[in-house]
Amino acid sequence: MTTGTPRKGTLMRARRTVAAAALVPALAAAGCAAAGADGDSVARKDRLVIGVNADQPGLGLRGADGSYSGFDIDIAREIAKRLGVAAGRVRFAKVTSAVRETVLRDRDVDLVVASYSITPERRTKVAFAGPYYVAHQDVLVRASESGRVKGVRDLAGRRLCEVPGSVSFPRVTQERGVRALSVKADGYAQCLQDLVAGKLDAVSTDDLILGGLSRQNDQAGGPKLKVVNAPISDEPYGVGLRRGDVDGCEAVNKAITMMYQDGTAQRLLRNWFSSSGLTVTPTVPQFEGCD
Amino acid sequence: MTAVQPAPAGRAPAPAAGTVPDTGNGSRDAVPARRRNPLPKTAAGRIRALTALVLVALLAALGVTWRAVDDARSGVRVIGHDAGPQVVATADLYFQLTDMDAQLANALLLSDSTNLGTNRDQAIARYQQNRAKADDALLQAAKLADDASEEATARDLLSGLGAYEQLAGQALLADRQSPHAPGPPSRTVVQLYRSASDLMKLDLLPKAYNLTLDNGTLVRHTYVDKRAAVRNGTVRVIVTGGVLLALLIGLQVFLTVRFRRVLNPALALATVLALALTAAGALVLTAQADHLKKAKEQGFDSILALSRARAIGNSANADETRYLLDPERADTYEQVFLSKSQSVLYLKAGNLSAYNDAVQRQRTTTGFLGFLGDEAGHDELPGQPAAMRQVLADYRRYQADDRAIRRLVGAGQREQAIRTRLGQGDGAAARDFTAYDASIVKLARIHRAAFDDAVRAGDDGTAGWNLVLPAGGLLIAGLVLLGVRPRLAEYR
Repeated sequence: MTTGTPRKGTLMRARRTVAAAALVPALAAAGCAAAGADGDSVARKDRLVIGVNADQPGLGLRGADGSYSGFDIDIAREIAKRLGVAAGRVRFAKVTSAVRETVLRDRDVDLVVASYSITPERRTKVAFAGPYYVAHQDVLVRASESGRVKGVRDLAGRRLCEVPGSVSFPRVTQERGVRALSVKADGYAQCLQDLVAGKLDAVSTDDLILGGLSRQNDQAGGPKLKVVNAPISDEPYGVGLRRGDVDGCEAVNKAITMMYQDGTAQRLLRNWFSSSGLTVTPTVPQFEGCD
Repeated sequence: MTAVQPAPAGRAPAPAAGTVPDTGNGSRDAVPARRRNPLPKTAAGRIRALTALVLVALLAALGVTWRAVDDARSGVRVIGHDAGPQVVATADLYFQLTDMDAQLANALLLSDSTNLGTNRDQAIARYQQNRAKADDALLQAAKLADDASEEATARDLLSGLGAYEQLAGQALLADRQSPHAPGPPSRTVVQLYRSASDLMKLDLLPKAYNLTLDNGTLVRHTYVDKRAAVRNGTVRVIVTGGVLLALLIGLQVFLTVRFRRVLNPALALATVLALALTAAGALVLTAQADHLKKAKEQGFDSILALSRARAIGNSANADETRYLLDPERADTYEQVFLSKSQSVLYLKAGNLSAYNDAVQRQRTTTGFLGFLGDEAGHDELPGQPAAMRQVLADYRRYQADDRAIRRLVGAGQREQAIRTRLGQGDGAAARDFTAYDASIVKLARIHRAAFDDAVRAGDDGTAGWNLVLPAGGLLIAGLVLLGVRPRLAEYR
């Protein structure tokens, strides 16, 4: 329990209130009809439940002791801190791709930070702050072969991991028309094992996921792997919020801006991905906007 | 309530048994002293008390109206004259930055060629115009920054723009030193251009965009706060006005019954004036809330969204040039062209040619998302649907040109592709993009007119209230005093 500590986040809210008050000297008496009378905006909560991935090394992974770790987890913690929610009042909940919209809508979670790409279709169901990072689909190969695979077109004739249900493989083979050979796997952890074991030549998906896999492999003492750094898509990773929570969205954007301004985001990117050879973008991404 | 109590009036005709000493001469109007209640015991006292209540209610009504009108006025001022137009100006910053980078790419692609209907000097001149405008917009944006992190963003942008200029200058210089046919320049130039363009894409543009989003929240907060204040103010005006009217009528009834007069004309006039003032206040405020809503939702929101659509479309258009300029990165530039096109007009598609097919099939103004999808829903203004259809038609034509360019590149006809990209003839992407961009500007102008109208109506709506309220208040107060004075005099 983190009792007794004053909620730092009121600082941010106070700032906005001050700004509003400066504009609106006479508002004081407006009473109940306060701006965006949204009682449960995440901007005003003192506890947060954050939906995260539990099975993505480097991004969101639940350990044997039930604790979560990864880039997304650290980002979520930093956002919560900047929203004024003490670490002890943040709870993580596992979400999967299929349920992210539902859990937000049903208020099972307040935020989703789970390599959650912002798309126009999803924006019709939930609100997105951020992105906090723009990932790109890229290619991971054994370092020994990185001289021969410089881009996605070099995957022609090579064995590429295909995870059924993921858009990554068809994006290479159908959308780009690259005739890579399919080696099916049950999830990207399996792809990693097969890559290390030489059963396939390349894995292609979001670069941060590849970076996380590569890091896990390093820690397990596997052969050196390398991200090729030839992006073939933009995947703006957003922070999902309940639709309509404009105040919350603006507050999270402010938190992300400050994370890049004070070097936190760069430090987290370095911590989690520098070993994979992945070139990360150290500047604040272009936000999508909250309305 | 006290005002309409008929009880004392009922007793009035009968001479009272006991008189209250301090009224001295008014024995026939005295209230029986035995009745112990907090009300003044004499008719004169009651008239004075009622009059005082009327004046207090009048002051309250005037005060409440004054503040609500003031809220309405400052809402219109912020949205219509201060932050609103400034935000629109800063949103253009993004456009100017993307256009700087686009013109730099054009200049490098064109090199010394003179037979494409456009040339390097024109591109550089436009680059410099944009640079000057971007400086102005950036200064505006910096002024609007209202916290430390926004100020830091504005500062970073200024220094980043300096760094970009330096790289651009180096690329242009290196390109002049190694003239080439229209098409990809030398390797050194491409490297310099990549550095400049990456800086623009990854650092400057996101910050510029986020800064205008931040500025936009200022307008949103003002709008939400002020509109709520005006609407609450309207309710308060009606309530206080109602109390004032009730008191005035009460006083009238009291005097009528007690003094057996048909009507107190001064008081009646005061009542009519109070009614008029309350009604006018409520009507003006309701109208003001409506003007604010129109200015924000039909004007500002669409102007801003279209300004973003324009900026991102322009940036996509530059990616088409970059695709020709830097063949090594062609795949990446094609992909960002698709993703930017999709943020302008979203149709589900996995690759560019599927997107293009979907765009060509899109003949109606519904069924798509993105900036234009949002705009298509704002069709309540006259002329908007027609302008929207024109935008769509021009967008289809431009996307068809893009398809042709990529087919030519695929077929190895790069020179023809560059001609299609930069030329000004039929089916030339440059010309069709200009037409599409002009259609967006035209569409935005419809919203701009609605915005200006709403702001003007908002300004006019509260004009004169600084005078009307005190004058009306004084008049009503004067009439009330005029109405009760002869009655009070009867007691002297």
